Amino acid sequence: MMQEENLQKEEKKSSYELFFDIPVGPQHPALKEPAFFKFKVEGEKVTGVDVDVSYNHRGIEKALEQRNYIQNIYLIERICGICNVAHTLCYAQAVEQLYGKEIPTRANYIRLLIEELARIHSHMLWLGVAAHEIGFDTLFMYVWRDREVVMDLIEMLTGNRVTTAINTIGGVRRDISDEAKDKVKKGMNILEERLKYYRKVALNDPTVNARCSGVGILKPRDAIKLCAVGPTLRASGIKNDVRKDDSYALHDEVPFNVITYDTMDVLARVLVRVDETLESVNMVKYCLDHMPSGDVRIKLPLSPPVGEAVSRVEAPRGELIHYVRSNGTKNPERYKVRTPTFGNIPSVCEMLTSKGDYEVNIADIPIVLASIDPCFSCTARMEFRDVSKDKTWIWSLEELKAYCKRQGSL
Amino acid sequence: MSMLKEIQKSLFKKKATVLYPFKEREKVHIPEGLRGKIAFDREKCTGCLLCARFCPSGACEIVTDEKGKRPIFHLELCLFCSQCQEVCPKNAIKLTEEFELAAFDKKAFTIR
Amino acid sequence: MNLLLELLQILFFPGILFALLLAFIYEWLDRKIYAKLQNRVGPLYTGPNGILQPFADFIKLLAKEDIVPDETDKPLFNALPIVALTLSLTGFLVLPIIDLRGIISFNGDLIFLIALMTLICIVIIYAGISSSNRFSTVGAERAALQLLGYEIPMMLSAASIGILANSMWVYNIVSVQVNTVWFLVGPGILGFAIFILCGQAELERIPFDIPEAETEIVAGWLTEFSGRKLALFRLTRDVELLYLSGLAVALFLGGPSGPIISGLEPVLYPIYFLLKTFFVLFLLTTLRALFARLRIDQMVNFSWKYLVPIAILQVLLVRVIV
Repeated sequence: MMQEENLQKEEKKSSYELFFDIPVGPQHPALKEPAFFKFKVEGEKVTGVDVDVSYNHRGIEKALEQRNYIQNIYLIERICGICNVAHTLCYAQAVEQLYGKEIPTRANYIRLLIEELARIHSHMLWLGVAAHEIGFDTLFMYVWRDREVVMDLIEMLTGNRVTTAINTIGGVRRDISDEAKDKVKKGMNILEERLKYYRKVALNDPTVNARCSGVGILKPRDAIKLCAVGPTLRASGIKNDVRKDDSYALHDEVPFNVITYDTMDVLARVLVRVDETLESVNMVKYCLDHMPSGDVRIKLPLSPPVGEAVSRVEAPRGELIHYVRSNGTKNPERYKVRTPTFGNIPSVCEMLTSKGDYEVNIADIPIVLASIDPCFSCTARMEFRDVSKDKTWIWSLEELKAYCKRQGSL
Repeated sequence: MSMLKEIQKSLFKKKATVLYPFKEREKVHIPEGLRGKIAFDREKCTGCLLCARFCPSGACEIVTDEKGKRPIFHLELCLFCSQCQEVCPKNAIKLTEEFELAAFDKKAFTIR
Repeated sequence: MNLLLELLQILFFPGILFALLLAFIYEWLDRKIYAKLQNRVGPLYTGPNGILQPFADFIKLLAKEDIVPDETDKPLFNALPIVALTLSLTGFLVLPIIDLRGIISFNGDLIFLIALMTLICIVIIYAGISSSNRFSTVGAERAALQLLGYEIPMMLSAASIGILANSMWVYNIVSVQVNTVWFLVGPGILGFAIFILCGQAELERIPFDIPEAETEIVAGWLTEFSGRKLALFRLTRDVELLYLSGLAVALFLGGPSGPIISGLEPVLYPIYFLLKTFFVLFLLTTLRALFARLRIDQMVNFSWKYLVPIAILQVLLVRVIV
């Protein structure tokens, strides 16, 4: 306290600022989507961070209440371009829980196949972007060249390179032919070899090690306290994966390992993602060999019965939760989406503050931000608006609790 | 140093770039089932209006012509989700494999 | 008459106009080799095989709006791009291209050449400070720290060449190499490696493009420059590339020497110069494609832990041989 007062006096006395703020965002070459981070720096050392992530709020949850369940599939798909399979899968599972019906086994296998192909796609895209953030453009170009293999496979299976639109309520919309299966197997063999090479590069290259190891430390206790999800959590040594803990779409029939590393830094997150990609390649091959025959779809009526349902899915970025409440009509009454990046934001603020021996430089900011795989299109904040007085504001947790107590719902 | 061999090999390999669209257009592989431009068969349509009910973006608009109600499609609003193709009971709507849709005139975007 | 010939040489060939033309070609070559190492094509459509692309970029930047923010130190801000370009072109005039001596040649011009490179870096620091922008300040501070890192090894390596040739005159250094052996294949190989690495740091290319890190501080010290000023700074960057390769060729590869046919010297010397500088450019571009960007403290650490001892070793080696 005394030090702060002295410091403030000193600031007023001198004619230039001793410490200043560096803004990263809303537009910045390090960010792929708008978000605002304000860093307090001393020289090259970062001492504090302030976050604002509501730039991409599009009012999707309100829009979902005004369209019927079939139209909503395509709106949910566009919450995030890269995670579109995870979002539609979560939505379809939530609504199928409302009906209380089971979908055929072959449909579940196809859902798993496309989900894992999308995970491979997402992790390879991330690897290229992370390489670009540390200035390693060569690795970026090579990884994105190899990503074309998986994009061509997804295009052949679903009709589009990125927004797949293959999940629907009651199953999947397309079936897989045998020649498609052969092409997928060939593609997976090529990818496995390339991924093993990139893993070697990430482990052995001296400049990648210099930039990534020991940077962006998140201790396991902090990770659990701040509710980190996905590879961010698994790189701090905690074995937590929705596919194993709360299995969906027959993930308990297809064997795989949950990857954890315990060095807690950015290099651990890189390796977790590369190893997860290799696991996904194995899962795809298993799926192709063991796919049962049968229907791919069941017919369901347009309006589900009254009720509510929650479903969880392991998106490439972490745990994704959807909640739906139906009142028997053909539009949902309330829909809520909690995306994994929103859960990782407090952890990234923790990783970006220097304390004690742990120092964060300005040069570490882009790679630490990229290491949680931020997808700010998914993240949204709620804001309150009083239309009659034309005021907008954002509440903290305590204020929200006090408001709910006053309304009598807590 | 670990990428040294790889980049030296690349000096002698063929480029990975496809020089689309001016020089190597035929090298682009278009798979079957690509969701592209909509093709509509007026003869098969019975006017059930299911396509407009399920179109997520409002690209399917209902008009009346001399044979009754029928849809017209606005490509600038279309998501190419193929829900209309899936729900049409008479298979009158089909998404073809044509994806080069840029045009100078807005009229090219309305499929009748 | 001699004065008129010299003036024409300074202005046209092999002086200013030749330098500018060659700078554009070098940038094109750099981009094409960088692309080929990454399994793609570089510029392709402007001119045959994209050779006019750097020139087109320059013309486009000249036509853009030149915004000068209110808070900058205006005289300094406006003058610095011109100063930087002038310095690098001046250095180019001292390099031996059409003969074993440059157009301007005097005893001690090795020191002059190295000092010019330091001056250009000081201009960069001033450019970062005079644009009152947080990103520029961080970039200028990083440029100053990087200067501390690469300056000493580079000077030691150039000094070791001076000791080997027993002179600080580039003409003498090149003549000694013509009579005996190129210093690259001789005792100067360590010095060549150090010179190339420090040259990469001086030119601010990956792995040392820390003052201008695109993903971290937008554009570092270059952030506030736009329009004509940005065009001149980018041109300075290209001329510096040419200048550094020319200097490396003069010090380590024997200048523009090679098997000559008497009478055809003014044609053959530039051709040998071009071939040798292409080799140095190839090495610099391969370095650029191989690594990620280092952090500033890692760069200074690396320089003082490894580069300076090897440079001192090179000087001792040369002293023992001579």
